[in-house]
Amino acid sequence: MNVPVQAVAVWGKIAPSHSITAIMITDDQQTIVTGSQEGQICLWDLSSELKISSKEILFGHTASVTCLAKAREFEKQPYVVSATENGEMCVWNVASGQCIENTKLPYRHTAIYYYHCSFRMTGEGWLLCCGEYQDVLIIDAKTLGVLHTLSSQSSDWINCMCIVHSARIQEDSLVAVSITGVLKVWELSSSLTSIQERQDVCEKESKSLDCLNCQAIRFCTYTERLLLVVSSICWQVYDYCDFSLLCTEFSKSGQCFAGGEVLAAYRLIIWTEDGYSYIYQLLNSGLSRSIYPADGKVLKETVYPHLLCFTGVKENKSFPFVMGFLNERKEPFYKILFSGEASGRITLWHVPDVPASMFDGSPKEIPIAAIWSLQDNFDKNLSMSEGIIDHLCASKYGIESAVVTSSVYIPSLDKLVCGCENGKIFITLGLKTARARLLENVSLKGNLSHKVLNGHSSRVTCLLYPHDNSVKFDPSWLLSGGQDSVVICWNIFTGEILHQFILQAGTVIELLRSPENFKFKDHSIVCCVCNDHSVAILHLQKRECLLHARKHLFPVKKIKFDPVENLLIVGCEDDSVYVWEIETGTLERHETGEIAKAILSSIEDSEYLVADALLPISQESKRNKNPEYKSSSSYKLGMVSYNLTHTEKSSDKIMDNSLIRQPFTVLPVKTKWNSANFHILLFDLEKLVELLLSSQLCGLKSSNSFHNLDTIERAKSTTEKRALTLRRNKTAGSISTVDGQVDAVCANQVSGDTNAVRSLEESGGIKRQKKMKSSRKIRMQSSGNIDVDIATDTAKLLLSCLLPWGVDEEIDNLCVRHLDILRLQCPVSFGLLSNESHISLMLPGWKCTDCGVLEEHTLSNLFSKRVFDLSNKYLAATEGQNETKEEPVNNAYGAKGSETVLFLFNRIALINRIINMPSADTSEIESSHRSESVHDKWRNMEAAMSSFSSFYGELSSKTSKHHSPDFRRVSLLKLICCWSDQSIKIIEAMQAVLLAEVQRTMKTLRKTAVYRQPLAIVENGNVSALKHDKSSNSANFQDVEDVPDRCVLEESESPDDMKAHPWISKVCSCKVC
Amino acid sequence: MAVAMASAAERAVLEEEFKWLLQEEVHAVLKQLQDILKEASHRFALPASGAEAAAKQESFVLSTAGTDQVKGVLTLQGDALCQADVNLKMPRSNQLLHFAFREDKQWKLQQIQDARNHVNQAIYLLMKRDVNYHFKTGSEVLKLMDAVMLQLSRARNRLTTPATLTLPEIASSGLTRMFAPALPPDILVNFYINLNKLCLTIYQLHVLQPSTTKNFKPAGGSILHNPGAMFEFGNQRYEVSHVHKVECVVPWLNDALVFFTVSLQLCQQLKDKISVFSSYWNYKPY
Repeated sequence: MNVPVQAVAVWGKIAPSHSITAIMITDDQQTIVTGSQEGQICLWDLSSELKISSKEILFGHTASVTCLAKAREFEKQPYVVSATENGEMCVWNVASGQCIENTKLPYRHTAIYYYHCSFRMTGEGWLLCCGEYQDVLIIDAKTLGVLHTLSSQSSDWINCMCIVHSARIQEDSLVAVSITGVLKVWELSSSLTSIQERQDVCEKESKSLDCLNCQAIRFCTYTERLLLVVSSICWQVYDYCDFSLLCTEFSKSGQCFAGGEVLAAYRLIIWTEDGYSYIYQLLNSGLSRSIYPADGKVLKETVYPHLLCFTGVKENKSFPFVMGFLNERKEPFYKILFSGEASGRITLWHVPDVPASMFDGSPKEIPIAAIWSLQDNFDKNLSMSEGIIDHLCASKYGIESAVVTSSVYIPSLDKLVCGCENGKIFITLGLKTARARLLENVSLKGNLSHKVLNGHSSRVTCLLYPHDNSVKFDPSWLLSGGQDSVVICWNIFTGEILHQFILQAGTVIELLRSPENFKFKDHSIVCCVCNDHSVAILHLQKRECLLHARKHLFPVKKIKFDPVENLLIVGCEDDSVYVWEIETGTLERHETGEIAKAILSSIEDSEYLVADALLPISQESKRNKNPEYKSSSSYKLGMVSYNLTHTEKSSDKIMDNSLIRQPFTVLPVKTKWNSANFHILLFDLEKLVELLLSSQLCGLKSSNSFHNLDTIERAKSTTEKRALTLRRNKTAGSISTVDGQVDAVCANQVSGDTNAVRSLEESGGIKRQKKMKSSRKIRMQSSGNIDVDIATDTAKLLLSCLLPWGVDEEIDNLCVRHLDILRLQCPVSFGLLSNESHISLMLPGWKCTDCGVLEEHTLSNLFSKRVFDLSNKYLAATEGQNETKEEPVNNAYGAKGSETVLFLFNRIALINRIINMPSADTSEIESSHRSESVHDKWRNMEAAMSSFSSFYGELSSKTSKHHSPDFRRVSLLKLICCWSDQSIKIIEAMQAVLLAEVQRTMKTLRKTAVYRQPLAIVENGNVSALKHDKSSNSANFQDVEDVPDRCVLEESESPDDMKAHPWISKVCSCKVC
Repeated sequence: MAVAMASAAERAVLEEEFKWLLQEEVHAVLKQLQDILKEASHRFALPASGAEAAAKQESFVLSTAGTDQVKGVLTLQGDALCQADVNLKMPRSNQLLHFAFREDKQWKLQQIQDARNHVNQAIYLLMKRDVNYHFKTGSEVLKLMDAVMLQLSRARNRLTTPATLTLPEIASSGLTRMFAPALPPDILVNFYINLNKLCLTIYQLHVLQPSTTKNFKPAGGSILHNPGAMFEFGNQRYEVSHVHKVECVVPWLNDALVFFTVSLQLCQQLKDKISVFSSYWNYKPY
């Protein structure tokens, strides 16, 4: 099950760089997919008027994308597969941006073709791949596992291939050309069974063509005879029957052909690497004889190419182009020639159905139909692409806003530190900055407190807050490195400069804190990597540079420390290793090859750095793959490994864990080629609901019951509380007041606790549950109103991001007036986390795409037209409960707007949960519901039921109506499950539900009747239901012993209305209820 | 610091220098790189590039340090082993076992083929940017260098890191069917390249009886398996009893490796030169 996290991207004025290395247009001609050298994949919307607009950017790959291909029959599932330089493969749903499947294989593909033979094939089809390995690989399109290889006599790399599918020949074949120019033909349809049984499949034919660097091979499906082979210096036409050469055309000097396609019978289009294309008509031999009467004896048929049309590029920027051609004959589709450049620009040409030359026979130029780039979208939607602190610069200084070049978010202080291009460093509060950036309220912007640190003379390239993960460092220290080769140590609270380290070694690329187990004379140190491949070790307390290692010839890839001998081990990109003695500053060893590898692998546990990490997300997830392993290996080194800071660190690196602790986080993202940064705001829905509920409880329940609950919990675990006090201290930013003794005690306790949690990880749900509870306790204990405020503010911010502003003026006003939710300044870019390392983010152009034509200047936050439809369906499905539903809503209004915020929030959290539930589970729920009493599935069903009880918390509180809505509930569950099957985005679903609920509240508001019902009951109903839902969702993994324990807790949480929930007794197998 | 204070005149000089770098120096380095890599590519004796006269054959005598249990001669033709003539003295019986490739067969060394292909890809990348090509930005050069370096380091890695194979993979490879007379069932052979050496490993096996009390633990993938490694192949369990490793130095592989290293350094130096300027002003990448 996914972590229900909502991401909102805050872009900057400068678009992330996107050097296109692969491009394709989907079969429905509505989406352009591009892969980039940076590793991101961009989805562009293509309108029927051939207007391009960027839609989404998909993060997940860590290396340059080499090829893209469709991965399913497109009409059924809009899936596209991407492959990268380092062997990663990923299947994406291009409609929703979700990552469906991903893998990493030791193969680098350069071309992929989807092959599906509907009547004889099981599964979803094959991906036929070729690349930097011998022959052709067959990969399962669903699992991305290698099924088989097509082998050949003289194996070599395959440069290009195509599938020949012809009605005349009655056999699907794969035609491929190897790197040495050997053409090979494999039979596909007749060898289906032998491939499935993994027998050797050898080529049927093999012929050496006289061409090196073959770029493309295409079969003419119109004549079912001609074979087009494009190499960099020439293109040739062969007869497929006997592979005899029919014609050859050489390129102009200085031009390299890059590909080609068959337009129609005897009509070809060939394109070059510099973005030109040529359309030829092949004239048959009869004509050629008349032109060359000397060639009297026409025994051999020849064809002769005649240039009809050509396309060129404006201002040839001489970057490599990747081009493709989409040939669609039927209306309303076009014949489109498309190209992507390294600069990130996409160019489209609309090729006429019947291309013709000029009247005088000279070739005609086909005009460009569309040009677009990511930056164009950012420029067009200026308000959407505003950076996170742009408004600060604008309001205070009236200057052109500075580009943020590096930033860091400090969760414990909720501070966002942004370093800018002009050397200034801004320190602001994370949540407030986000609110000021996103919401339409001038007062927020004016009142935003922030600090500006002036010290660097040019771009700030990296920032580090060393205390964040390691209490060894002073909490006031903030380090910044700049292009001016200076590292400044600041006091983050006062803004004064504590020390400047002048390195004179080029731009500072990275600042890293030393690993926890490494201490230099009892002090932790910071190491910094510079542009000239040198590594400097800085001692912050003594304010001196201990060592500046300058001998490295290649960029630094890894840095490790040997704590026993005080050695610095630097691994470079050329796989060589330098070992430095820190104390004396001498180069101890320089090794290459096997010895270097051995040295690097001998010390496992260390801070390390990936020199060209694309995205912290992927980096983090890479790191968090095996936290257990890390700690155990440090144990091996004989260090005191289980100190507080260490466990803190390893758990903090896990994105999820840190998220659980924080309902709101800002994640700065650095892109590879340009210096601009952007930010992702992360909202943890579950956590927010928890926080809101607890705050509600605090407010509404009698203090008596609250104490009750509190004492029970206190009795249960004291250790967690200690951890909590420590954490609270941290959040207050006053760690210096914690004395050493407490520190040590807590260290043991916490490490024990986290270990216990870790060991439970296999049993899935428990860990999560435990975490939830502990974190919840923390919040309750730290009883500060600040936390509640933060939670409400965060929730409201997220709601304003989700609400469909601009659809109905009345609803808008209602939300602003009654719910105290502020309007959005501009539509926001949401993100979708598919798993821990794959995320898709909407780009500033998304708005124009899905919603069709909207007036330019109206603010509209509608995700797509579909939302209306969905919201109507939702209303219909929940219609039956209308009369009961209205009450709590009304009550909420009667009391306070914040309850409604909670109410709405609960719903979107629920929708999120249902959609995130694996579909297998949900179908199981339904089937079990039908069969009613299968014991194994009993819990699952209850999970569904209880989630609906939470949905209609108010309903369950009324015993009389309890039995009736069963049918309705299931219908709603079905509806939402079917949404998730239809690849409807979560945000669409959430917005639809919000819209429906708000509309419904509108209706009730207009009515004057106000029911009064004890609110506490309603809310409590929600609490326990929610709790239950969570635990029973993960019930599959849980041991039976845990169940009673859980129920006791629940009872204590809502002791007074236990009897009012008959369904609870159904869920709980224990005797308590 | 100096950057901000750089005067307009200084700036102009810097820009002039950067222009020189892009227009003159880059091409000089690219030319040098091409020459080196072509030299390296010649070492691999690409059959298609030379006149149809097949690539020359080279014979190498296998040797081990110390013992003389395995003797043999290997003949290498480009990326293919076209002859192998091996004499194995059985450890216990001192019986002499002789096996050789069948006349009509040759064994492709994938590592050499891959390394050759990578080098040719690098050369192809460089050729596309010949003297007439006009570099306009630094990042263009950086990207080209990145692409070339990627190919070169792959080429080098192919030679320095042999594939790790499991014993069943070795047993099922086509290599076992290459010999005349056929290999005895208790012998496995594997050829690979390690740095500049062509290596041959011979595994002598003995069949583990199903009734044996030894607990069976199949060995994972490895470049060289140790005696005692066990595996299952064709419903039969085996244990490696003896391992013989013999190798011979292939001089041109050494040359090629040196060429790779030198050209990688050249590439990196060019990248460094470009990035020095990039820190002087925030040049637009495009």
